Amino acid sequence: MIMDFETLLSTLPGFAEGLGWTLFLTVSVLFFGMIIALMIVPCRLSQNWLANGFGLTFVFVFRGAPLLVLLFLVYYGVPELPIVRDTFLWHAFQYPVFCAILSLSFNSAGYLTEVIVGAVRAVPRGEVEAAHVAGLSRWAVIKGVIAPNAIRLGLRNYGNEMVFVVKATSVASLVTIQELMARASGVYYRTYDPITPLLVAGAIFLVLIMALSRFMAFLEVRLSPELSRKAETARSGAGKPAASINAVDGPSLPQTPQTGR
Amino acid sequence: MNWTLFSIGAEGWGDELLWGFALTMTLAVAAYVIGTVIGLLAALALLSKSRVLRSVSAAYGTVFRSVPELLILFLTYYGAALMIRSAFAMIGIDLRVSLDAFTAGVVALALVHGAYTAEVFRGAIISVPTGLREAARSLGMTPFVTFHRITFPVALRYAFPGLSNLWMVMIKNTPLVSAIGLADLIGQANTAGQNTKHYFAFFTAALIAYLLVSAVSLWGQLRLERNLTRHLPKQGSWSP
Repeated sequence: MIMDFETLLSTLPGFAEGLGWTLFLTVSVLFFGMIIALMIVPCRLSQNWLANGFGLTFVFVFRGAPLLVLLFLVYYGVPELPIVRDTFLWHAFQYPVFCAILSLSFNSAGYLTEVIVGAVRAVPRGEVEAAHVAGLSRWAVIKGVIAPNAIRLGLRNYGNEMVFVVKATSVASLVTIQELMARASGVYYRTYDPITPLLVAGAIFLVLIMALSRFMAFLEVRLSPELSRKAETARSGAGKPAASINAVDGPSLPQTPQTGR
Repeated sequence: MNWTLFSIGAEGWGDELLWGFALTMTLAVAAYVIGTVIGLLAALALLSKSRVLRSVSAAYGTVFRSVPELLILFLTYYGAALMIRSAFAMIGIDLRVSLDAFTAGVVALALVHGAYTAEVFRGAIISVPTGLREAARSLGMTPFVTFHRITFPVALRYAFPGLSNLWMVMIKNTPLVSAIGLADLIGQANTAGQNTKHYFAFFTAALIAYLLVSAVSLWGQLRLERNLTRHLPKQGSWSP
């Protein structure tokens, strides 16, 4: 039933390899998700109804669809399509890792778009107007005024999103990727001990995510030192509606309830 | 596109998919209700005077919000029965329990949901103006009556956006139960795909079903929110 200590030790290298996969997936998804989101954000912020409608639809679809459905659709469904079956794309969709990163990235991009849009909208209007009046070019305003403000304001929600990406990578185990969850199940099938391997994997996830949120909290304080006094009280989980630390220095980031997914 | 794939009856998969959908929704509602109760209790523990209760609840929240839902689901399904059995074995009782997949799914999703709900309720309860509570106490209401008649109804309005958001999260977490063999919407779509080799059609149908549920939930949320705030001046986003 419950495995002995030596068996547990012998499984640890496997878990380390699994952790490597989890980290690889997380980093790739954060990277590609950000690239996709940065392409959708201008649509969402545009005045053009067509572009805005496209952005809204993108967000609705990829935020409303369960990750597992997206993953299965990409992994099992998409290779059926003639355009994929008869072209070089077929080879790419043969790899579960490709499918996992693709679906996780689009899923994450849906959330990320709203995080960035929320942060950009929270940048004080006056500052942007002042920059325009001072004769800064469009690009200079984005680079020098909007981006630095938005990064500070959006950091907390981005941190939450990072945590969700780490957790979401576990779903990749269902398409045969040997990340942490899959390693834990593998050990269970070999030893018939369901509890220990899952607890080990759970502990690794716990440490990983606690370290990540500590780091993001630290980064937030570093980037906005004036908020550090309030940061302590406002540090809490997702979905909290009221009282954001950003309320301190004027610009308030509407903590859209959607950010906790 | 071959529509007979979705027909009801022996040759189509329409009825199977509908049953799967019904299972998904039952599971989501059950886990949501139980999880919300757990979350409320956890929030009260977080706000209680007892240090032990506070730290137990905080640890519960941290663990269940950090560990992937899939892992908690597997641990509940494969491990919970064994854990209960070993616990009873320690006090000398040989109790053989087994947890079916549906119960395990509800328990796991409810536990995760509870951890997030606790944060929502905690935030909502501390947002209730202290004056209300003090007034209630000075009118001679007992702490329980104060909570039940004053704090909780007001807090519920603050908690509403968070709670409705977590309903969406719940719907999006339910497909995970197909990993422990439940024939929910995704499980059925998968079976249908294996049998007909039309994965794309079935998973697209499932995707649309989920998007429809999302859209209906969003619409309901807006309606309810308007209803809850009808005593407030109309303008922009609301805060009770």
